[in-house]
Amino acid sequence: MTEIKGDAEKIPSIWQISGESPPRPLLEISSIRKDYRQPDGSNMTALRLGPLTAYPGEAISVTGPSGSGKTTLLRMLAAITKPTFGEIRFAGQDIARLGNAEAAWRAVSVGYIFQDINLLPDFSVLENLMLASEISHVPVKAAESRASSLLTRLGLDGRKDSRPAKLSIGERQRAAVARAVIHRPPMILADEPTASLDAENARVVIRMLTELCAERRALLIVATHDDAVRRALPRTVKIGSEAAL
Amino acid sequence: MRVTTVLRVALRRISSRPFQTFSVVSVIAFSSGLAVALFLAASGLRLGLVNAVAPFDIAAGVRGSPYQLVLNTVFLQDVPAGNIPADAAQRLSDDSRVDLAIPVALGDTYAGLPVVGTTSAITDVKVKGVPWLRIKEGRFWDGAFEAVVGAKAAALTGLRPGDIFRTTHGSIGGEEHGTPFKVVGVCHSVHGPYDRAILVDIASVWAEHDHGGDGHESESGGEVTAMLIRPRSYADAYGLLASYQRDQSCQVVFPAQTAVRLFSIIGQGEEFLRAVVRSVAVCTLLTTILILYWSGASRRDERELLHILGVPHGALAAISWLEGTMLLSSGVALGWIIGRAGVAAAFGLLGNATAIEPTIPLSAGEISIPAALLAAGSIGAFFTALEHTSDRQP
Ligand SMILES: Nc1ncnc2c1ncn2[C@@H]1O[C@H](COP(=O)(O)OP(=O)(O)OP(=O)(O)O)[C@@H](O)[C@H]1O
Ligand SMILES: [Mg+2]
Repeated sequence: MTEIKGDAEKIPSIWQISGESPPRPLLEISSIRKDYRQPDGSNMTALRLGPLTAYPGEAISVTGPSGSGKTTLLRMLAAITKPTFGEIRFAGQDIARLGNAEAAWRAVSVGYIFQDINLLPDFSVLENLMLASEISHVPVKAAESRASSLLTRLGLDGRKDSRPAKLSIGERQRAAVARAVIHRPPMILADEPTASLDAENARVVIRMLTELCAERRALLIVATHDDAVRRALPRTVKIGSEAAL
Repeated sequence: MRVTTVLRVALRRISSRPFQTFSVVSVIAFSSGLAVALFLAASGLRLGLVNAVAPFDIAAGVRGSPYQLVLNTVFLQDVPAGNIPADAAQRLSDDSRVDLAIPVALGDTYAGLPVVGTTSAITDVKVKGVPWLRIKEGRFWDGAFEAVVGAKAAALTGLRPGDIFRTTHGSIGGEEHGTPFKVVGVCHSVHGPYDRAILVDIASVWAEHDHGGDGHESESGGEVTAMLIRPRSYADAYGLLASYQRDQSCQVVFPAQTAVRLFSIIGQGEEFLRAVVRSVAVCTLLTTILILYWSGASRRDERELLHILGVPHGALAAISWLEGTMLLSSGVALGWIIGRAGVAAAFGLLGNATAIEPTIPLSAGEISIPAALLAAGSIGAFFTALEHTSDRQP
């Protein structure tokens, strides 16, 4: 396990050590900064991060104290918001330049998991999966078969017709995992996915996430407070005061 | 994102919260229904009034209150003011500006319903070119002491052709006249006060009062309570009005004008109702927008989720707008039905008791209420939707 303090490029990549020809990076972040304008008109820096490169199939935890900018980073990676300075390249493309195609890009490229609300309350678990697939242009037949195998793997077979409110918190987060991977995105972003879970449920969710991402060689980035989660993932990016530039 | 998906999400939001949907639709339905009902009640009464006045262009009667004259002759209400002398009545009938002159003798009743002595000239009255008084059963009278019964009068008294009845001098409690009348016909409804009338030959009324020798100050040979007049032209109508301005025996009025003035005395009723209708509509609109705003505000998390799933802001706004507009249109449609049905039921209950018959034909004014609510509401829903989709973090 490599620990990277802020500046990822200072640590030699495994590909440099092994000498094999490296695969193309999926994510290339230059030094970025995100400022928010305060109500009093001054700017407040929500996040600073040194250059970072990530490859398909990697699993990375992002840690840092509350308010250090973990959520801000994930939102920038999902192209919900743009960095004030610096550039984020996804498969070679600057995602700040997506413009109006931003939502369509996210629909196929990103799977996102929130800490809690991950399912539409008026739709059953299965309907949530089908709706997410539809938004991501997965054909219905494929979506149906993926949904049924994912639900089985995540132990949600008996709960597929339930509304989210009827599920336990652990079941809800497992359903969220299924919902985030059903369209097979190349990048999965999870913002404190285990924060509301007990240790056992947290372990299951992280194991399922890493397994599913590894199978499809998807890049997994998990923002977390949880040391157990950090230890479970092979690479960690620390942000905030500990990594202040 | 496909239109069907947008529609499906919006529909699901409505259908999966039956209680919320029910209460929102009810609030919109009742308040828009109230606006429609108030409008229909006001316009229905006005139409009833217009229908009542329509057959009579000019009324002539003894000098005095024009309101009383119109109440007596057009609405068959109140105690007759007095008579105009036979020669004055004759002078009016012979006037070259008069196309049709119908004498009426009022004051007698049967079972509380007005007995109107007149001539067969009344069957020549037309409204918009269509004969006004038409016989439904039997025939019009052609002799003394024969009577034709108005539609409501027939329903209220049960009088049928062949029946015999005696009139009463004055209203209920008055003295009964001696000679019985024979019903020979029943009229179609004229949708006005004359539906409550029992029409008899005026000569029979004169005969009744003459040979009764009862000493009442009442119709006798040739005297009439009033003349209902159709002028040859507009110019003739104003000419008649002008020449009777200073006449000692007679006053000439336009019942339409008098009726409008009479009803505007009763508290500017319609203007006031219109203002209430407008206020209720505005309240409905504001309530609707408030409801949409709050129900939208409570779905911030859902929008955030859909957005992160890859639903663009435009589609998110479309979902909120559709949801609002569907709730609004079902509420407004239901309200329209409730308002219309309520007023129809209320007017039905008033039934035979009223002099005028209020009618509620579909009108542009009525349609404009739900249409305006829908238009303004969907614009409001559009702006709430925009407001909600722009409340995301930068
Ligand atoms: N839309 C915004 N406008 C202004 N300030 C913001 C906005 N979003 C985040 N911030 C600020 O940026 C900083 C970083 O916030 P962020 O949510 O990224 O932290 P975090 O590391 O996810 O914290 P936590 O662990 O508590 O979730 C905070 O100080 C926060 O107040
Ligand atoms: Mg956070």
